[in-house]
Amino acid sequence: MALATSTAEDTFPKLLIRNARIFAQRTAYRHKDLGIWRKWTWSQVHEEVRALALGLAALGLKRGDKLAIIGSNRPRLYWSMCAAQALGAVPVPMYADSVAEEMAYILDHAEVTIAVVEDQEQVDKILSISDRLPRLSQVIYDEPRGLRDYDHTRLKWIDEAQKLGRERLSGDGKAWWEASVAQGKGSDLAVILYTSGTTGQPKGVMLTFDNLVVSAVNANRFDSLGPDEEVIAYLPLAWVGDHMFSYAQPFAAGFCVNCPESPETVAENRREIGTTYAFAPPRIYENLLTLTMVRMEDASRLKRAAFNYFIALARRCGEKILNGEKVPLHTRLMYRLGDLLVYGPLRNRLGVSRVRLAYTAGEAIGPEIFRFWRSLGVNLKQLYGQTEASVYVTAQPDGEIYADTVGKPNIDVDIKVAESGEVLFKSPGVFAGYYKEPEKTAETKTPDGWVRTGDAGIIDAKTGHLKIIDRAKDVGRLNDGTLFAPKYIENKLKFYPNIREAVAFGDKRDFVCVMLNIDLTAVGSWAERNNIAYGSYQELAAHPAVYDMLAEHVEEVNRSLAEEPAMAGAQVRRFLILHKELDPDDGEITRTQKVRRRFIAERYAPLLAALYGGAGEADIATEVTFEDGRKGVLSARVKIRDVTPIPAPSVLDKAA
Amino acid sequence: MLGPVLETLIGGLLTGVLYSLVALGFVLIFKASGVFNFAQGTMVLFAALSLARLSEFMPLFAALALSIAIMIALAYAIEFLVLRHLINQDSIILFMATLGIAYFLEGFGQSVWGSDIYSINLGFPTNPIFVLESIFPGGLLIDPTELIAATICAVMVLVLAVFFQVTRVGRALRAVADDHQAAQSVGIPLGQIWLMVWAVAGLVALVAGMMWGAKLGVQFSISLVALKALPVLILGGFTSIPGAIVGGLIIGAAEKLSEVLLAPILIRTFDLAGGGIENWFAYVLALLFLLIRPQGLFGERIIERI
Amino acid sequence: MRAPTAGEVLLSVDDVSLAFGGVRAVTGVSFDIRKGEIRAIIGPNGAGKTSMLNVINGFYQPQRGRITFKGQTRSRMRPYEAAIGGIARTFQNVALFKGMTALDNIMAGRTLKMRRGFFWQIVRMGPALSEEMEHRLLVEEIIDFLKIQHIRKTPVGKLPYGLQKRVELGRALAMEPDLLLLDEPMAGMNLEEKEDMCRYILDLNEHFGTTIALIEHDMGVVMDLSNRVLVLDHGVKIADGTPAQVQADRAVVDAYLGVSH
Repeated sequence: MALATSTAEDTFPKLLIRNARIFAQRTAYRHKDLGIWRKWTWSQVHEEVRALALGLAALGLKRGDKLAIIGSNRPRLYWSMCAAQALGAVPVPMYADSVAEEMAYILDHAEVTIAVVEDQEQVDKILSISDRLPRLSQVIYDEPRGLRDYDHTRLKWIDEAQKLGRERLSGDGKAWWEASVAQGKGSDLAVILYTSGTTGQPKGVMLTFDNLVVSAVNANRFDSLGPDEEVIAYLPLAWVGDHMFSYAQPFAAGFCVNCPESPETVAENRREIGTTYAFAPPRIYENLLTLTMVRMEDASRLKRAAFNYFIALARRCGEKILNGEKVPLHTRLMYRLGDLLVYGPLRNRLGVSRVRLAYTAGEAIGPEIFRFWRSLGVNLKQLYGQTEASVYVTAQPDGEIYADTVGKPNIDVDIKVAESGEVLFKSPGVFAGYYKEPEKTAETKTPDGWVRTGDAGIIDAKTGHLKIIDRAKDVGRLNDGTLFAPKYIENKLKFYPNIREAVAFGDKRDFVCVMLNIDLTAVGSWAERNNIAYGSYQELAAHPAVYDMLAEHVEEVNRSLAEEPAMAGAQVRRFLILHKELDPDDGEITRTQKVRRRFIAERYAPLLAALYGGAGEADIATEVTFEDGRKGVLSARVKIRDVTPIPAPSVLDKAA
Repeated sequence: MLGPVLETLIGGLLTGVLYSLVALGFVLIFKASGVFNFAQGTMVLFAALSLARLSEFMPLFAALALSIAIMIALAYAIEFLVLRHLINQDSIILFMATLGIAYFLEGFGQSVWGSDIYSINLGFPTNPIFVLESIFPGGLLIDPTELIAATICAVMVLVLAVFFQVTRVGRALRAVADDHQAAQSVGIPLGQIWLMVWAVAGLVALVAGMMWGAKLGVQFSISLVALKALPVLILGGFTSIPGAIVGGLIIGAAEKLSEVLLAPILIRTFDLAGGGIENWFAYVLALLFLLIRPQGLFGERIIERI
Repeated sequence: MRAPTAGEVLLSVDDVSLAFGGVRAVTGVSFDIRKGEIRAIIGPNGAGKTSMLNVINGFYQPQRGRITFKGQTRSRMRPYEAAIGGIARTFQNVALFKGMTALDNIMAGRTLKMRRGFFWQIVRMGPALSEEMEHRLLVEEIIDFLKIQHIRKTPVGKLPYGLQKRVELGRALAMEPDLLLLDEPMAGMNLEEKEDMCRYILDLNEHFGTTIALIEHDMGVVMDLSNRVLVLDHGVKIADGTPAQVQADRAVVDAYLGVSH
């Protein structure tokens, strides 16, 4: 039962007032602090947000101002968003793990006047760049530890801000609040979300209330989400996915958002709460799986045998059962038994026992992994979206789940595929523009309101689903004209648990080469079981046995590429394993784990030269940034392996 | 055939309860001090001697009260004279100390109380009881002394088990045994804990001594009863209170049953002269356990990170 | 670098000598620790640093000399008395109760703070139980401070070394000590763990005013953290002053280079 909104509730502050009325006693937020789950009902949240809004107003926040929000998922940071919006100000959430430089750019570009941050760490970062931010007048913090002795002329504890706000309540505060909220309308700017661009500086995507509220309401309707849902907020606040799932949709439907105790306890907290609706990038689903498999290797023989048997059974029929297809009775009974013995406990351990809907997006997910989760009885579906779309472009409807598609257009969304193969869409969620970047906006939005996604894709004739191949601008060609879609190849490689990251090169080259990162968890545990000693990531990454194992994976990928006529020529000829993991702090991948191919090509130029030059190994010295900002140099001699490409089946047929 | 076996089983279980009690004394001290108390057997003897001799001069209840006081005083003396000075030492050193205490106590006991065989008259009925006469012809024979002794021991075992498992003492004790340094630096009064534990072990020894003494008479060989506790500990785990209970019952029953069931087979097969399996069967069982599951049924596997 | 504090003297060690049989661990050492400072005790291996801490803590009784703590002078002190007096300690090789969880270990640090006597705690009934909530809250704050929420229910025997040391620090903190003795708190840690530990120690000192004496080998850490430094060599004090003074001291340099004097 999703809640449609009338035009009267077209902004989040208005939705808050509505929720405080109709969901007054329902829990809206929970946060585990000092070992205890603390909770707030919608009416309590309304009171808190109002106090905060009045406080921010007293501190000088006005209509049209920007409020930066920096930290991990804490209730008060979410409330600051609503408080700002109630005043007609615009929240600008930012990534908590940005380094000071990145923060400086955004805070300046967005013209932020007040920042609400989580703790001392963030305060310190801002103070280190405050001389570059003349507009920043106040920094407000949530967690006071360590800040007692700081100079508080431009620093304030959030409780203090709320106290200021509550003082006004005895006067005209209440009326002023209601009037301010009433002034907001659907076409107003609701939030600016800066995307971590794979190239160039981040762009500020402007989304209006209409964008978010309508998309949220539609999404809730698409999946029948109501006020009983429980979600856990653990993805970055600055990311549109979190903004939709942990802010917009909860406000629209009235369900509860749970904030974990710390990033390390997310899995445990998820279990404790028993969330009903999950969203995670494919990486999370992969990691959970790898962890389970690794743990299983250490279990007793009996347990392992039972596990393997039932998982194989699930692979055969689990998905069918979930999809509601016909399955013979005895198989169904065995599956029930498996549910009792294996799948149920497994789902419990993974924290998804009560999950009735799980989405994944942001990247392609390995078909094996996707099917595995579904075979366990978890309704995992894919969706495709962008910040510029307020998330939703396509999603898989129930009953039409395939491993390699991203679904059909959501409610009120239209899509089309251009000549060049680029996917375009039009929807109520289409962003207003890039903040202060009219040219870039014009590049992305066509005059008749279509948005260029920047992704290349095709619409599958059989199912009507959209399939995404690669970033449009990354699709290139080898020197012999073969289509080269690097992401396509990289994703196939990353489907193997042993391979954490892959970077493919081939555009305007003679053949395809690949740089790989091993997954330390999976490969480390494999090494332990096979008595391979290693002292560091670098040592493990250089080990010949690991190379052998990865060579097998590459060969398998080649085999699957060989089966597609368009891709057969793009098989991988040579590969190497990088001596260090690709790191966002070094700028090699974005904070949302997207590889920066051009940057990597420059940084590892000697390796690239060796790959295409035919050498068997190459030396590389890279500068790395440690967590505290200091720099060091990491050098290694990296080996290169050749892989024989597999002839396309048609060739074999001809020969036979 | 079933009748005699059942009778033997019951008898074995009753004896087993006594074994459990003695083993419990070991477990308590091991949990609290991390040391295997070699002197537990002699404590049983000493306690029994005290009671036997004192009851010659005064009514049983008075003798009992005085014996309790003596055992507590003994615990205090051990803590003050021996344990206190050995804090933070290796467990092997503590073990040697208990060895010393054992020999001392033996000699001391005999000097003070004498080395004859004494008897303890607890006033238990001695006529055999017959049960289940309807099912088995003639009924099953149960020795009332054993039954009463077993009941008293069982009660004591249960009380101790509950006290040490349900309350936080169990955890505190293990902490103390784990790391003396840590316990001391946190302010846990080691001396007080040891005093309490050894006093309880002493009382356990007293009750065990009383029961055995009533059955066999108080003599030197009682201290050997403690050796029987060893297989019980191996089976049940050195640190487990439920283990001591279960182990004792198993050993008691297995012993008696092996005599009745196994001995005839062995005598016939190997043309042996006689039985006497009862004496060594427990140890063979313990040996087997050491091979298969050294930590016992309930003991802890040592988890250590390398 | 931090300047020496001007606080009153919290602990003073007066001409203390300690010997084990023929081995003279500490000979005639005198120094003091002021309230609110971080005092580093350094010296080559075998200099008697741990023995010195053990004397302050009550584990060893010196043959000669006196210790004055919070105005009270004694020549012999037992560990229990040191603990009650407000001295908490961590150990070189991590003395944790391996079978207990991290949470229980830190709770053990509250033993002396529980108003009900130890035996009431043991029995854990009645009045002791309501008190437990108070203590649990404080322990949770410590867990939050040290960021070990995710391992609070893990038996410490299973934890990696760095985390074990953090739990041990937590347990010492739970005692709300007036004087915290840290024996090589950074031993065996990688760079990141060391930095975290440094930050915790600094925070403790700056925000809670805890007086800290620490034995440490990493000179960088010593220079950054301490107000004053005591240098021992072969059981004898060879220098005592600010980090800068000590660094420049000839005798100290010689001692580390192994030049006998």
